[in-house]
Amino acid sequence: METRAQGLPLFTGICFLIGTLVVVQLWLLAAALEAARSEMPHVLVPATIASLALLLVNAGLLWYVVDFDRRLRRQGEGGDG
Amino acid sequence: MSDTPDGKIPRWRLDFPIRWDDDHYVTRRELAKFLTLGSALLVGATGAVAIWGRRARPGQYPRQRVAEAAAVPAGGTLLFRYPTEADPCILLRLSSGRLVAYSQVCTHLSCAVVHEPGSDELFCPCHHGAFDAVDGRPAAGPPTRRLPRIRLEEEGGDVYAVGVEV
Repeated sequence: METRAQGLPLFTGICFLIGTLVVVQLWLLAAALEAARSEMPHVLVPATIASLALLLVNAGLLWYVVDFDRRLRRQGEGGDG
Repeated sequence: MSDTPDGKIPRWRLDFPIRWDDDHYVTRRELAKFLTLGSALLVGATGAVAIWGRRARPGQYPRQRVAEAAAVPAGGTLLFRYPTEADPCILLRLSSGRLVAYSQVCTHLSCAVVHEPGSDELFCPCHHGAFDAVDGRPAAGPPTRRLPRIRLEEEGGDVYAVGVEV
């Protein structure tokens, strides 16, 4: 059974995790730009795949948060995240 | 939401339904959605860079006369620009007598590298980086990538730049 007490730290932690992964994606974008300028095309596809993988992780975390919130509301305990 | 004594909602309130004290309030759920949207945009940007980078194939470089070969003695250098006027390069005759040329732009933070007299090294005065002038590889300091090498050809006593090897 989900509770609001579980939800608050969970939401905070997941937000922090998603933010960290977004920073990694920014780094990947910077690396891809530098590789493109330095004519090193072998770096570009792996950088894109890695960024896409991080997006999928982020989407999964967001889905988990939204689903957790939905279950919490269904139980009638409230919880605004 | 009624801000007037008669209980009517002013028109501006309909346009801006967020109260001043709620304006700064963003839920963690909204933040997570915003970050995930940003994550998707970053994937799109990285993909666009990848497509652009793979399409931008190294072009055909022009053949450009640099100097008379005899004009550069052993240990001597000559500055030129190749393949465009925005690309400074350095021509150097090594102690072995071989002519080499590199981009003059340091691969660390783009300062201009200069020849270290009495050695076969190119030196970056900004952060004390050094490159081996024989093959352009970094020899000391912060640079980690080699200097782009200018392909040279000698013909009729003249030196020509014919390409760039990154």
